[in-house]
Order: sequence, then structure tokens, then C-alpha cells
Amino acid sequence: MKLAVVVQRYGESINGGAELHARYIAEHLARHAEIEVLTTCASDYVTWRNEFPAGVERTNGVAVRRFRVSHERDPLLFGRLSGLVFHQPHSVADELRWLDAEGPASRPLIDHLAKHATDYDFCIFFSYRYYHAYHGVRAVGPRAVLVPTAERDLAAGLSIFPPIFRGVRALMYNSPEERAMIQALSANGDVPSVVVGVSSDVPSAPQPGRFRQKFGIRGPFAVYVGRIDENKGCKELFDFFNAYLQAGTGRLTLVLIGNSLLPIPSHPRIRHLGFLSDADKFDAMAAADLLVMPSYFESLSMVALEAWALGRPVLANACCDVLKGQCMRSNAGLYYDGQLEFVEALTAIEHNRWIASALGRNGRRFFREHYDWPVIERKYLDVLARLSGDRRGPGAEPLPGWFERRRRSCPPAEDVVARLPTGPASVAAPSSTPSSQGRPVSPVAPPTGGERRPGNRSRFGGRQRSHRGGSAPRAGGTS
Amino acid sequence: MPEFTVRSDSVDVEQIMEQIRARIREKRGVDYTEEQIRELAAVKLEKFLDPRGLRSDLLDQFRRVQKEQAPPAPPNYAFEDQTLYESHRGLLRWIRRLLQPVLKLFFNPNPLIQALHIQSQLNTLNAERETTRRGLDQLQYEVLHNLVVETTRMGIEVRNLKMRVESLTSRLEFNERRARALESVVVYKPSVEDQAVEATPAAPSQATPPGLSASVTAAAPSAPGPGQRSRRRRRRRGRRGDGPASAVMAGQPGSGEPRADGPAPPDGGDGRGEGGTGAAGADQEGASPAGDVHDSGFDEQ
Repeated sequence: MKLAVVVQRYGESINGGAELHARYIAEHLARHAEIEVLTTCASDYVTWRNEFPAGVERTNGVAVRRFRVSHERDPLLFGRLSGLVFHQPHSVADELRWLDAEGPASRPLIDHLAKHATDYDFCIFFSYRYYHAYHGVRAVGPRAVLVPTAERDLAAGLSIFPPIFRGVRALMYNSPEERAMIQALSANGDVPSVVVGVSSDVPSAPQPGRFRQKFGIRGPFAVYVGRIDENKGCKELFDFFNAYLQAGTGRLTLVLIGNSLLPIPSHPRIRHLGFLSDADKFDAMAAADLLVMPSYFESLSMVALEAWALGRPVLANACCDVLKGQCMRSNAGLYYDGQLEFVEALTAIEHNRWIASALGRNGRRFFREHYDWPVIERKYLDVLARLSGDRRGPGAEPLPGWFERRRRSCPPAEDVVARLPTGPASVAAPSSTPSSQGRPVSPVAPPTGGERRPGNRSRFGGRQRSHRGGSAPRAGGTS
Repeated sequence: MPEFTVRSDSVDVEQIMEQIRARIREKRGVDYTEEQIRELAAVKLEKFLDPRGLRSDLLDQFRRVQKEQAPPAPPNYAFEDQTLYESHRGLLRWIRRLLQPVLKLFFNPNPLIQALHIQSQLNTLNAERETTRRGLDQLQYEVLHNLVVETTRMGIEVRNLKMRVESLTSRLEFNERRARALESVVVYKPSVEDQAVEATPAAPSQATPPGLSASVTAAAPSAPGPGQRSRRRRRRRGRRGDGPASAVMAGQPGSGEPRADGPAPPDGGDGRGEGGTGAAGADQEGASPAGDVHDSGFDEQ
């Protein structure tokens, strides 16, 4: 079986969520199939500047074919178009211009896919919201398998994407919440799909003591791993942790690992260690009492999975449906909605050791049963084997005509997203059985939150909107 | 930290979250939404609690109001003995002065002049007093302002202290519960002496001191549980440590040294009660196998 993995950026040094997801999947599927990665020469997700040489190279034993990006991102144009398509009525042509402005626009990559689609059994596309996925899926037709890595952000409300979700051969979701959202958006229940996610190469014997010694960390601590950014909920995390410190009921220190785009509060019990190697990161997670995940938007959160793999509980933001759903399904994490719940939940984990250890045990089991590499590989291979029997697929729906494309009939994306159901999809563990071809996927349990109404507290209103909905550049979805 | 009631390996995070929310509701009394909480907190801080949010310009405002609302100065006049005959016309003034004796033939104007003169002086005095009062008012407002600030600060401090006391109380409760839980799970490991005691059940009656009552003596042979024994040992250790270290070293009363000539306790016991001087029983514990039995009977009281 020959597979193409198509992703916006690729490389050992690239740590974006979806890009890392794609690399892990490519490297692990390479043991079972012939893999070729098709990607761009870009390494910076903000500019998409060509930095790698075009052509074929091998990375960790996987063939990587790179194509040049036609033009870099113009932040002003992208910001203006984002404002238009996210917040105002607009046309399909506007959305296509937005997609082109977002990038990475690589016409040679799409041409290669169109010309050589038959060379591959399937083309696995990562991140639905980028240029390569939209045009690539349309180029390869029924050979396209999509790993959407979709979050509840405003891009999901654009009208150009539902035809893509309906037109691929299969979808590999990261979480039941993602599947529920995309099915609600595109009514693609008849497209074969499976909730897979991704695993991580977690060391079997991390060295927590080494970490404590190396960085001079004493006493219990909660760890945050990831980009320290307001978009990731870190500002709110600082506020809430300050409240925890002021309450004076606990001894936890907050240890931050990752590059910071925010000023870190100056407090002896808030430690920023910067970007660490994988070994140090895993040692830190093993040494921590818990992992904090303050993000509002996640399609899976690999960091949470890694914490669970190491037997550590997670304290997640309940406003993120995926994280809350994962916590409930795994019984391995608590979640908070507001400062009071944050302080109480943190204190509960800190002061009740049996809760922390039971959550950690559940997390380890959850990871082993649903996210260990053999499980992930088996899910992918099962789906591809089932799909191999019948190459017929719906194919991409044709674009509307010239005049229709220019009619301003598309509602603002924020309105579309606001109407989506909210809440964790199901308490059941992620499904491991894909729907048989052509038949509808068994629907997940309906989300519990109901439709968002204008009066409800919207996660896209207020503090998050300006960051997610506007021109803020972003990396891939799985973080 | 309050304990959670979910005690099993298969934790249910939803149940834990429910308990966390219940505790939050319990703490804040009313089930407000997060927005309401924030709104209330903001209002309180702005208007009452935050000294920076106070009207620090109270005095200025008062002065401004005073200026706006201050009544005009009361009209006054000067009234002297010649005021009645004054005129800007010299001829007229001369004629009036010339005819003044004629006027006095009809009535005596002097009391009238005197009264009006006094009234003029009174008006001046009143105006001066009014000015002084206004100055005092400003001082009073300053005092009031300072009092409000201080009261607010005190309010905040009281609130903080209350929270701290609550926190300490909860910690204390937790520690007490923890201590009780630990006491209940302490496993008693019988020593050689204990085993010897159990092997010779007749020993207690022989070793019972004469001061013990019959009921105590009767209770002594009943085999106490391991938890009770360990508790007793801790108590004895506590008694030993009752006196100051210097006293212990000097062997003074209260030092835990056995005293044969010590005063008899008022309850007629053997002098080993709380606050008593003797710790004979405790000291015996290690020396004689019967010591445990004696103490058993005593502590059962």
C-alpha cells in the first residue's frame, strides 16, 4: 500500500500540533506501508517563507517531497479578509481569497497531487483549514482521507469546508467532539469515519529526580507545557493561579515549559523554564503533581495524553469541549469553569492524594487502551484496508458558478459557529470501529450543551474572539 | 481541606466536580453564576472595600458644594449716633442737625439709635461665627473622610483575617480528623512484656495499687485494644513532658520524677492524675510487666 501524507509543514524541528501529528503518523505507518510525505518548503507558519529546499529528502526514514510556496502570507490582507469572512456576510469567492491569503499556497503541490494521484492508494490530508487540504482533496477526489484536526474556531464556520468534509473518502477524527462538530456543520454522517487521535513516544522510565535537580524545583508543582500565549488561555491561568496563591491553602508551584509570548508574572511560585528537550519535558511531567491545560480550543491535546501516559492527572479548561470530554471519558482529569472551580479543583488534587493517584491510574489505562501506538496504527490500517475494497467515493462537490461564487450569500462564520452544539460529545471512550463504507457512521451521543443562544456565554465572544477570529496566525490543530 | 466522600479506585470525575461545585456553593452561600460573582465582587470592591475606590475627593466635593450652596453673606449696616441725620448733601445735613433739638421735642431717638447700633454689632458677630463654623465643618469632613478610609481598611483587614481564620479552622479540622484517622489505624505490636502480661492474667490483681477503686480494679484485667494502649502511651509521654525541661532535669515537682512524699491528690487517687506530680505508672511501664495493667485500670476511668 502506498500512502501520501499531505501536510502544510514537515520536519523534525517543527513542533506545531498538526505537523507533529502528521510526522508521528507517517513514521509509524511507514512500518506497514510505503509512505511519501508531500509538503511545502515552509517552516514558519506565520509567513510560510520557503526555507527548506524543494525536492525529495528523507526524514527519519520517511521520504519527504517538498514544494515551493507560491507566495508568503500578507498579514494585512489576511487580517482584512478574516474580518470579512468571520464577521460579515460574504461570498464564496471571498472565502477562497481568504484561503489563498492564509496559505501556504503551493500550486506545484496541488499540481503534483492532481497528476500523481493514482500513484497512491490514499492521500492522508492533515488540517482541513489550509490551502493544501482544500485544493488537494479536490485534486485527488476519492483517494482523499482527511484528518481535520478541527477546533471550534471561526474557520470551521466557513461555507467552503462542508463540501470537503462530505467529499473525502474517510475522516480520521481526533475526538468525538470534533466528529460531532463536523457532522453538525456538514451533515457528512454517511462518510466513513473513525475517532483515532494520535499517540506519543512517552519514555517508559522518566527521571523526575533528575529534572528537580537540574532545574532546582522543590516541593509539589503543577506543570503547563506548550506555547505560553493568551490564545492558549495562559493569561487566565496566571490570574487563576494568583487566586490560588492568595487563598493560601496550597503549596503548589506553577512550572511553565515552552516559549513565552506573554509576560510571566513575577512570583517565586511561578517558574518559567523556557523550551525544553523532550527528555526534560517528560521528566518534568513525571515529576509534576498534575498538568494544567488552560486552552479554550484543542482538537486533542497531545500534552494531556502524555501526562496521562505518565500517570499524571490533568486539570483542564471546561470551556474546551474536547478537553472536558476527554477528562470525562478517561476519568483521569478534573476541569474548571471559572476561578473558583480552578482553585477548588487544584486544591482537591493537591490535598487528596488518592484522587490524584486514582486519576493518574485511570489516565495511564485510558492512554494504553485508546492512544497507544499499536492501537492507533491498527485503527489506521483497519480503516485503509476497509476502504481499499471499494475505491468509489463521493468526490468533491463542484464549486458554484462564476456568478454564484460572487453572490454575498454566506453568513458570517461566527454566526455559523455560534449555532453549533456545545459540550462534550459522549462519556464513552473513543470509538475504535469505523463505519462500513457507504453507510452512515453511528452518530455519537448528542452534545449535552445544546445550541448556543445569543444569551448564552459564547466562547467566541469577549476575550477569545479577537485572538481566534481575527488575523492572528496559528499553527495546526492538534496540540 | 475538606475530604471527598468518593473513596474508590474507580473515581468519577463528574461526581468529584459535583462535590467541588457544592463546596463552592456552600462557601459563597448563594448559587450565583460566575458573571454575577464577578459583578458583585467588582461592585463591592469599587464602592466599599477598595480604599482606592473611595471618594478621596470628599473634601473637595464638600468645598465645591459649599461654594455652590453657600448663602450670600447676610446684609449688615453701620449704625452710629449720627447715622439718622447723615446725608450726602451738606445743606440738608446742616438743616437736620439744626432741627435735631426740635425733633427731640417729639420723641427720644437715642434708644432707637442704641438698639440699631447693637443690632449692627450683633450682625457682625454672627457673620464671624458663621465663617468660623464653616471652617470647623471642613475639619469635620476631613475627620469623617479619614474615618471612612480607616474603617474601610479595617473592614478589608477583618475580612482577610476572617478568611485566614476560616482557612486555619479548616486546616485544624483536617488535622484533627487526620490524627483521629491515624490513631484508629495504628497497629499495636505487642512487646515482650505485653506478651508476658497476657501469659500471666493473675498479675493485675496482685499489682493493683491500694488507691484504685473496685471498679477500676475490675476493669483492669479486661484486655484493652491495641489502639487504647497506644493512646495511653502517648498520654503518658505527654504527662512526662508536662514540666519544663529544667524542672525535669532538676527532679522538681512536676518534673515527672516519682515522689514518695508528694501530696495526696484530692480525689484520693494514686497521684498520677492529670497535672499530678507522680508519673510512677508511666515509669513503671518499662520496668514492670504489671505496669500496663495498672495503667489500664487507671486510664479506664
